[in-house]
Amino acid sequence: MTRLRASLVALCLLCPIPALAQGISGYAEAKGFAYFERSSSRDPWALGWGTIFAKWEEKVNEAQLTASVRGEGITSDERGPLAFDPADRKLRRSPISVQDLWLRFPLTPSLDLQLGRFQLGWGKTDGYSPADAFLPRDLSDPFSDEKIPLWAVRLSGQNGTLRYESIVCPVTTPWRLPVLGSRNAPLNVERFPAGTTFKEVETQPPNMGFVALRLLYTLGEWDLGAWGRAGVRPAPLLDFRFDRAIAGPSGLTIPVERRYAREEGVGIEVSRIVGAWILRGEAAGLLSRERGLGNAFIGSLSVERGFGDGTLLITLAGNTKDPGIDQTLLFDRATLPALITAWSRTEEWGEWKLVWTAGLKRGDGLIKMEAGYNLTDLWKVTLGGELPYGSPDGPFGALNAARRMHLALRRSW
Amino acid sequence: MIFETGRRHLLVAMEVYMHENKLTVRVPLRLALAALLVAMSACLAWGADARTLLKESENRHRTRTQQYAGELTVVNKEGKVRKKGWKSFREGYAGDAKNLIRFIDPPEVKGVGFLSLAHPGGQNPDQWLYLPSMKRERRIAAQDRDASFVGTDFNYEDMEEFDHEKYKVALQGEQIVEGQPCHVITATPLEKGGKSVYEKKILYLRKDILYLMRMDLYLKRDKQPGKQLILSDIQSINGHWVARKMEMNDLKKGSRTTVLLREIAFDKPQPANRFTLRNLNREGGD
Repeated sequence: MTRLRASLVALCLLCPIPALAQGISGYAEAKGFAYFERSSSRDPWALGWGTIFAKWEEKVNEAQLTASVRGEGITSDERGPLAFDPADRKLRRSPISVQDLWLRFPLTPSLDLQLGRFQLGWGKTDGYSPADAFLPRDLSDPFSDEKIPLWAVRLSGQNGTLRYESIVCPVTTPWRLPVLGSRNAPLNVERFPAGTTFKEVETQPPNMGFVALRLLYTLGEWDLGAWGRAGVRPAPLLDFRFDRAIAGPSGLTIPVERRYAREEGVGIEVSRIVGAWILRGEAAGLLSRERGLGNAFIGSLSVERGFGDGTLLITLAGNTKDPGIDQTLLFDRATLPALITAWSRTEEWGEWKLVWTAGLKRGDGLIKMEAGYNLTDLWKVTLGGELPYGSPDGPFGALNAARRMHLALRRSW
Repeated sequence: MIFETGRRHLLVAMEVYMHENKLTVRVPLRLALAALLVAMSACLAWGADARTLLKESENRHRTRTQQYAGELTVVNKEGKVRKKGWKSFREGYAGDAKNLIRFIDPPEVKGVGFLSLAHPGGQNPDQWLYLPSMKRERRIAAQDRDASFVGTDFNYEDMEEFDHEKYKVALQGEQIVEGQPCHVITATPLEKGGKSVYEKKILYLRKDILYLMRMDLYLKRDKQPGKQLILSDIQSINGHWVARKMEMNDLKKGSRTTVLLREIAFDKPQPANRFTLRNLNREGGD
């Protein structure tokens, strides 16, 4: 770890620091959450979340340098302490984190090399994409679908209508989970005696990450793609160490460790315009010899259509392989099979969206709605809500106690 | 001259047809036929004149490349003002145009990219939008081209270069626009030109320099124009005429978007990969 830290610090120092930072943008946001219920007396009825984000972008000839940092304060015990955690490998998120720190320059006119910390976006189908789903998310806020950037080297190029992209991610950035047993990550109480608490053990994720290759080909109205990857799967497997459980006056305390499996995956992507609709499809085969994970064959199909300034999107995604364990604990495929229906619309005053995700296995689901009103070019107020419903055995129904409304005020610059 | 020849051929052909079919033609009928032919050929001539004017306009104003920084002001019907900024790059012209637009302001849309690749004389251009939040491009379906382009009064079709080859055109007459005599030309989308949001477009082409000054845009089934594009502050820069101000008025919504063109440059060599999907996906790139 010391060597890793030293490498990252060296990389930071290698980046030229500009005398004049002209391309600075960012925002400050104050967000408040109000909950409809609590799962325990530890859960607050309301939560405040303040964020400051600053991004600096600079072009030096053909090279592009980008750095961004996020600082935040949360009125909750679930936040982590201020820590040097450049690869987001700790259990809880640090109040300050580096979101971007990358340099991109052309090796040839048609080939770029990008290195540093940046975010990836793969796949074609919105709502759920097998190509994109394995990338690490921060579930501290279980409804935000926030991706965590990666330290990686990316080589990307284009030859005619063929695009290619290869990624080497030398260090694992794992999924970040909410506090186990909290309303954001409740564990099935029937399996554990009443009063059971969980002690999450700070398990060191493997240093090695993954390598991946993606090819994209555009032929008229067809967009075709194929990808493959191998390496460490960023979503952890949880080991409940009952053998090390400690009985206390209020109940059992069970240590929970995390394991990271190796996984190989291949997938295809296809997209085509058919009349007024855009059809997108993906299929992925995931292979792992790790117990408690197994293989998966995941497919997704989506249709999208615009209606003036509104867009309707419907996505169906599922896994044909039964994992044999509670799929909720697999995170990247926890919600499968699911039908996702989203309606978003741009208005003169801002935009609004409504997303309904229906879990097809347990009959649970999630309704998300949000409306953003632009007060000015720089000030924006957002009102929304997240309403999980249904069986507590399902990934959404389990979050019933996390039903909430939120209100945010953002000032951008 | 070509039309005169065509008209003579048509008259001769009809005479031959009537002779071969032993038709007896009396004088009034001949006169009526002649009048009909004159009217038909006049229509042909008008259409051809409009085409000739548009071709000449294209020849005069065609540049290999164009780039500018656009300052956008969007004013809604209540008078609320929003500002945006983009950088626009174009290679080719009209039917062979490639366009890349990258938003630089406000922060909310900074980095959003738009790529449009025209198909000469053929179907709708291929269009993609890159959203930094998603880190990937989204294709724009032809049917979605009536959607607002990133909160402006332009829609995706408005962002295309006008290619007269995709329209049936007819000269309607002349009109003074902003003190300038203009040719008035009706352009009706052709089936082979792909789907259009509009039923027709009426172009006002300045007579002296054959430069577009105004375009009235009629939505399907509308008798009145739904939108109006006004080009003004026309200047000659490096020997090329260009409107430094474009204003799109949405007459139905009562809103308007004004684009002021700054840092205009013509025929500046563009990087070979600027108009590619790879470049569209390059965060921070233009």
